[in-house]
Amino acid sequence: MKTDNHFKSFSLSIIWVWMFLFALLPFCLVIIASFMSHNENSLITLPATLTNYQHLNNSIYIRIFEKSFVIAGISTLLCLIIGYPFAYIIARMQSRWKSFLLLLVIIPFWTSSLIRSYALIAIIKAKGILNSILIALGIIDQPLAILFTNYAVLIGLIYNLLPFMILPIMTNVERLDQRLIDAARDLGANRFTTFRKIIIPLTMPGIIAGSILVFLPAMTIFYIPDILGGAKSIMLGNLIQNQFLISQNWPMGSAFSAVLTLILVTLILVHVWVTRGNKKREWL
Amino acid sequence: MKFFLRFTFLLLLLVSFATHAADKVLNVYAWTGEVPDFVVHMFEKETGIKVNFSTYDNNEIMYAKIRTTKNPGYDVIMPSSYFVDRMARQNLLEKLDKSKLPNWKNINPNFLNPAYDPKSEYSSPYIWGITGIFYNDKYYKAGELKKWADLWDERFYNKLMLLDDTREVFSMVLMRLGYPANDRNPEHIREAYLKLKELLKNVKVFSTGTSVSIMIDEDATVGMAWNGDTYRASRENKNIHFTFPEEGFVIWVDNFAIPKTAPHKEAAYQFLNFVLRADIAKEVAVAANFPTTNLAGFNLLPDSIRNDQTIYPSKEIMSHAQFQTDLGDDTLALYEKYWEELKMSG
Amino acid sequence: MKAMIRNSAYLSLIYLFFYIPIIVLIVYSFNNTTFSLVWHGFTWKWYVDLFSDSDLWIATWHSFFLGIASATGATFLGMLTAVSLYRYRFAGRNFLNGLIFILILSPEIVTGAALLILFTFFHLPLGFLSLLLAHICFCIPFVIVTTYSRLISFDKNIFEAAKDLGASDFIIMLRIILPLLSPALFASWLLSFTLSLDDVIISYFVSGPEFQILPLQIFSMVRSGIKPEINALCSVLFCVTVTLVVLAQLALRKKT
Repeated sequence: MKTDNHFKSFSLSIIWVWMFLFALLPFCLVIIASFMSHNENSLITLPATLTNYQHLNNSIYIRIFEKSFVIAGISTLLCLIIGYPFAYIIARMQSRWKSFLLLLVIIPFWTSSLIRSYALIAIIKAKGILNSILIALGIIDQPLAILFTNYAVLIGLIYNLLPFMILPIMTNVERLDQRLIDAARDLGANRFTTFRKIIIPLTMPGIIAGSILVFLPAMTIFYIPDILGGAKSIMLGNLIQNQFLISQNWPMGSAFSAVLTLILVTLILVHVWVTRGNKKREWL
Repeated sequence: MKFFLRFTFLLLLLVSFATHAADKVLNVYAWTGEVPDFVVHMFEKETGIKVNFSTYDNNEIMYAKIRTTKNPGYDVIMPSSYFVDRMARQNLLEKLDKSKLPNWKNINPNFLNPAYDPKSEYSSPYIWGITGIFYNDKYYKAGELKKWADLWDERFYNKLMLLDDTREVFSMVLMRLGYPANDRNPEHIREAYLKLKELLKNVKVFSTGTSVSIMIDEDATVGMAWNGDTYRASRENKNIHFTFPEEGFVIWVDNFAIPKTAPHKEAAYQFLNFVLRADIAKEVAVAANFPTTNLAGFNLLPDSIRNDQTIYPSKEIMSHAQFQTDLGDDTLALYEKYWEELKMSG
Repeated sequence: MKAMIRNSAYLSLIYLFFYIPIIVLIVYSFNNTTFSLVWHGFTWKWYVDLFSDSDLWIATWHSFFLGIASATGATFLGMLTAVSLYRYRFAGRNFLNGLIFILILSPEIVTGAALLILFTFFHLPLGFLSLLLAHICFCIPFVIVTTYSRLISFDKNIFEAAKDLGASDFIIMLRIILPLLSPALFASWLLSFTLSLDDVIISYFVSGPEFQILPLQIFSMVRSGIKPEINALCSVLFCVTVTLVVLAQLALRKKT
C-alpha cells in the first residue's frame, strides 16, 4: 500500500529532522561541552578533560541533589493529591461547561508566574494579607513566618505546577469507561476498592504523565526558591545557573546537566524494569 | 486545527513583511531600570533614530550573549565595572573615539581612568553605587551599626538581609577582615569563608532584586544594600537609613560601551553623547534615584538630592571606596565553591 | 446529590486557590506605592502610566503572537511524534523516547545556552525566528507526553478495522485519531501557549534586539520597581482573556 508509506515517511522524516536539529544536536553539544575546558578567552575550548566529572565527586553536590529531589518529590506528591480529584471531577462532567472550566484553570497561568509569585509574597509575608486577617480575627498573636522558608517554596512550586498535573490526568480520565466502574460495583466492590483496583490502574498513564511534567521542572526551577525561599539554600537549578553565569564554567554546568539526566534516566529505567510484568508499562 | 494552521501561516507572512530593517535604528541593551523611558523617547524624537531597547538584570547573561554570538546585533551595552575590564581584555569592546563624544567633558573626573579601565578607553560612566549597611531606625540606633563587623552581633539573629551576590558578600567579609575587596589570595578567601559561616545564622534572606520592598515592608530590618536602593526605600519608609561602613565599601559603576560587532556605530555614539548631556543626566538622576557620574548634571540637581549623604556622600567618605576589578576565572570558581558550601551548610 | 455538593465544594476550593493571588494582583494594581507589597491607598496612576507606555503593548502583542505560533507548531509536531511512536515500529524508537525525556529534563539555562550555540553555528540571526524555534523546541515534549497518555487508552482494533476497510494512514489520522485526540490536543495547545508566554531564561538567550517580548520586559520592570504598572497590565490582560472566554462559551451555548 504505497499511500500508507507516504504518510508514515512524511511524519517520520519531519520528526527526525526536527529531533535531530533541536534535541539531538543540542544534547550532543552539552555532552561534548562537559568534557571540555574553559579559560579566560573561550567559554568552551579544548583540551578535552575529565576534570569536570571529577569535581562532581563532592558531598555537597549530593546534598544539593538530595534536597532538590526531596522538594520536587513532595511538590509532585502534593500536586497529585490535590490535582487528581480536581481533574477527575471535571473530566467526568457531562456538561458543556467542561472546556470552559478547563480554560478557567489555565487563564491565571497566562499571567506571568513572576508576578503571581509576588502576589503570593504579598499574601504570606509578615505584614501580608494572610497574617493581617488572622491577627485581626484574633486567631494568632504573632505573624506566621512562612515567607523565606521551605514551606513558601513548596507553596510556590505547587501553585505554579498544578495545571501540569491536572491537564494530563484529565485527558486520561475522560477515556474511563463508566461501564467498568459499574461492573465492579455490581460485583460487590465498595468505592474504595473500585478506586484502588480499577480507576487508579486505568488512569495510571495520566498520573505518570502529570508526575513527570511536574517533577522534572520542579527539580530545576530556580527563581521560586530564590524569591519565596529567600535564596538561603542552593537547589539544582541555582547550582547549574551559577556555573553558567557566575563561574563562567559552561563545561562544568554541562557536566551537571549530563549527570542529572543520567541519574533520572536510570531511575526511570529501574522503574520500568521493576514493573515489567505490568502490561501498562508500554507507556515508557 | 486546519483553521489554526492557515491563520498562523498568514500571520507569519504578515510578520515577515513587517520586520524589514529600518534605516535608522539603534539597539540598546542595558541594565533594567537604569535608563528611564523618557530618555529613550527624547532621543528618538531629537535624532529620528528608532531605538530597540532590551534589558538584562545581570552582567553574566549579557556577557554570555556577546561572547557566544558573532553578531548579537547590539549597538550599546551597559557593562558594570569589572566586566568592562574583562570584556576589554577579550577584545569585545570598541575603543571609544572621544572626538565623537563632545559631552565627555561633563563626566565627573573622579570616575575617569578607574582601576577597571585605566585610560577610560572603553567605557563611558553612567551611574554608580555603593554597597553598605542599611538599618531601620525603629529598631536600631545609628550608632549601633558603624562597621561590617557589627553585623555579626548576636542580636541580629535571623534579621539580616544580604545581597545574593557572591562577589559582593565576599568583598564585604574580606574588608571586614582588613583585606582589599578584590583580594585573590586563596588563604584570605578561605578565612573569609569561615568568617561568613559564622554570619549565616543571622541571615534571614538573600536578595538582590527584591531588596527595596523587603526594606520598606520590614521583612528584614538591617543588612547589606546598595545606597541607591536604600535611598528609594527611604522615600517610602522614613525609618530606613544608610551607613558607610568604616572598614571600607565597594563601589560599582555601570558604564555604556559599544561592542566591536555593533552594526550601527554612528547611532551608538550619538546615544552615548546624548546621555552625557547635563540636562539628561540630571533628569535621569532624579527619575531613577541612582547617583550619577555626570558632574554637569549633578550641579543641576535640586539641593535636597545633592546634599543627601546617602547617594552623594562627602569626598572624605568616598576615599574609602574600592572599585571592583576583574578577578579572573580561578578566583571566581573558588568564590563559587565556598558560596555553595555556605548555602548548603544551613 | 451529596456527591454533587461535595464535588462543587472541592472544585470551588481549588479555583479559589488559583484565583486568590490573581485577585490580590488586581487589587494591588491600584496600590499607591512603588515598591512596597503592603496596601497604601487607592490610585489610578498605574493604569494611566500603562496606557501611555506603547513599548509594553508591543511586547505584549509580540508575546501573544509568539505564543500562538509556538503552541500551534509544537502541537502539530508533537502530535505527529506521539502518533508515530504509538502506531509505528521503527528504527530508533526507544532512542526517540529518550531524546524526548531529555528535552523535558534539561534545565532551561542549559537548553538556552545550547540553542544559542546552535543558532550561532547556523548563522541564524537572533529574533522572532530563533525565539519561535526555541519555544517550539521546549514545548514539544509536553505535547508528546500529554497526547501519548491519551493515545494509550485507545482500542487498537479500531485501526485494524479501518485498515481492513481500505483506509490509508493519512485518512486514519485525519478521521479517527484527530477527533479522538482533540481534547488532548486542546490541552496540549493550552499548555504550550502557557509555557511560551512565561518563558524567561531560554528567551533571554535566543532573543534579538528587535523582537521584544513580555516576560523579559516584566522581569526587568520588576527589578526597577515599576511593578504596579505590570500589575495593571496583567489585570487588563486577565480581564480581557476572561471576557473573551466567557463570550466564546455563551456563543457556543447558542449553537447547541
